[in-house]
Amino acid sequence: MAVLAQHERPAEDGVASGGQRGTVVLRGVAKRFGTTTAVDHIDLTIPGGSYVVLLGPSGCGKTTLLRMIGGHEMADAGDILLDGVRLNDVPAAQRDISTVFQHYALFPHKTVAENVEFGLKMRGLPPAEREQRVSEALEFMDLANLRDRLPKQLSGGQQQRVALARALVTQPTVLLLDEPLGDLDRLLQLRMRVELRTLQRRLRISFIHVTHNQEEALAIADQIVVMEDGQIKQVGSPQEVYRRPTNLFTASFMGDNNILAGRVLSVNGDAVEVACDGLRLRANGVPHALTVDQPVHASIRAATVRVRPEATAATDLPPNCVAARATFIEYLGDIVKLHCQTASGLPLIAKLPESDTSWQHIREDETDLVLYWDDADVQLLTA
Amino acid sequence: MSSYSLPEAAPVPAVGRRRLTANLSWALLLSLPLLWLLVFLFVPVLVVLVVSFFQPTLSGFEQSFTLDNYRLLLTSGPFFSTLANTVLSALITTVVTFLAGFWVAYYLALVVPNLRSRFALFIIALAPFFTSFLIRAIAWIPMMGREGVLNSALLSLGIISAPLDFLLFSNFAVRVAMAQLYMLFMISPIFFSLSTIDPAVLEAARDMGARWWNILWEILLPLARPGIVIGAVFVFVLSMGDFATVRLIGGGASTSVGLSIQNFVTFMQFPQAAAAAGILVLVTVLGVVLLLRWGSIGEDL
Repeated sequence: MAVLAQHERPAEDGVASGGQRGTVVLRGVAKRFGTTTAVDHIDLTIPGGSYVVLLGPSGCGKTTLLRMIGGHEMADAGDILLDGVRLNDVPAAQRDISTVFQHYALFPHKTVAENVEFGLKMRGLPPAEREQRVSEALEFMDLANLRDRLPKQLSGGQQQRVALARALVTQPTVLLLDEPLGDLDRLLQLRMRVELRTLQRRLRISFIHVTHNQEEALAIADQIVVMEDGQIKQVGSPQEVYRRPTNLFTASFMGDNNILAGRVLSVNGDAVEVACDGLRLRANGVPHALTVDQPVHASIRAATVRVRPEATAATDLPPNCVAARATFIEYLGDIVKLHCQTASGLPLIAKLPESDTSWQHIREDETDLVLYWDDADVQLLTA
Repeated sequence: MSSYSLPEAAPVPAVGRRRLTANLSWALLLSLPLLWLLVFLFVPVLVVLVVSFFQPTLSGFEQSFTLDNYRLLLTSGPFFSTLANTVLSALITTVVTFLAGFWVAYYLALVVPNLRSRFALFIIALAPFFTSFLIRAIAWIPMMGREGVLNSALLSLGIISAPLDFLLFSNFAVRVAMAQLYMLFMISPIFFSLSTIDPAVLEAARDMGARWWNILWEILLPLARPGIVIGAVFVFVLSMGDFATVRLIGGGASTSVGLSIQNFVTFMQFPQAAAAAGILVLVTVLGVVLLLRWGSIGEDL
């Protein structure tokens, strides 16, 4: 695969000290549109050769940030560096960065091969070399037998592979992907996200991928950057972001977290007790200093909540236990989601594996239950 | 065997009958325009064709077959130069409207940011059509005439020392006027072709290093081709058949086949008029066929 060979060598090879090529550093990057702040002084380092997902709801600034890295939007303030070189004033076409646009933006009148060739043609490469590199790129993306088709004659997944081939044929060190799976149906999304991940592993270049889909981000990323209102809320590995949200926004955006508002009852080293409406929580390993009576939010992942049928007086229960009833049992195939309500009226969700058949004996609004979870599964959030 | 109990199914509609009704309603809907075309276009054209083979007399024609009308026209030098001038004017008008109209369409379709101002500007581009043709043609005379605004301005600025005569009553004037009159027929189809282009496609091209001329040549012109061809057909056909502009703006210094036909009719020389019309239609159709063939090279329209 000579065309992409540059990237297929082992990681140790030809790598500058301190990491691989394709390291993007953002320092105080900001962008305003009229009176709205799209990106609010962001600092971020994207290590070379990593798969980073910018995750957030629409309007959070993730696409603007991507477009500034790609050179399609000018930053109002701050520096954008690629491998130590400031990019702000470098035109998009001269950055060592390619973009897979949302909806792919293929040239509708050009064949697959002509689409892939375009960037090489614009760079003035001789036809023979263009032809060779196009063939290799098409081979690499498994498109060789479609080379003479027009985009409209391709399926969504094939169009996406053409967009990838077109972006990769110029051998970038960073690939930007703007909602690349948004146009595909769900089954294809599941397949293509594995393909994207595999592709990034093979090429060893940086992928920066924008999405609003949490599951996609968790499945694909080395690092997830959670964004809201033009700011970064949290950066971490999928496990960190999923299990240990550090703020209310991340906890609620990642979904399936029970979020309860309460006040600190007692602090004992890193073990903290919190009173929420009608139940007591206990958390350990709390990283930040809390004071008694401080308002906090607690986040408890639905999958860590366990259930046992038992009728008890609410007051008898130890911390991290609560009496409740299921109001709705949502059967989702591999898991079952119990929508519960505590005696004091708080909604709580418990997710059980389908194979855990205990849920089968629970009657909606009838069976008395006790919900419980471990101290380690309670995340206390002050932001 | 397991048994299912499903809600009572609605009776299956008779697909065949429904299709028949659909066909019938389409036939009814289309019959009126078809009848219209038949009565007011095909039959008259057929009559003209038939008349073109009749023997002319002093005040009309007698119904005996002859090829003389065509032979006389095709061997007449003046008619040939009129025909050549008509084709040349039509070609120049088509090229000029394309060269000028493309940018207007480009600006409207791809530069104006929102749909509302786009259509507002499009309506403004339509403005010449709010007045009658006659007013627009007559308005040329005080503007372009010997004593007109343009000549006076150029004289007083010292750019010219004598009035320019070619500004009015000339082939030049006719071609400029026709280009202005028919510009919109070029702009509209190109505008609609360009409007279908996803701006992200242009951004992608720029991202890959395309300069503006690359984008024009590699993306915009190929994608606008259907619009360009349709616009060119409109303008070419309209200019080929024009006689009013030629008469008013050309003022005798310019000729066209359309004007000749009108003159034949004035002198009741109906078979000659019909033969000239037949030749005009033939040449026009030939031009249109060439345009369409050129326009769809490698294109799956």
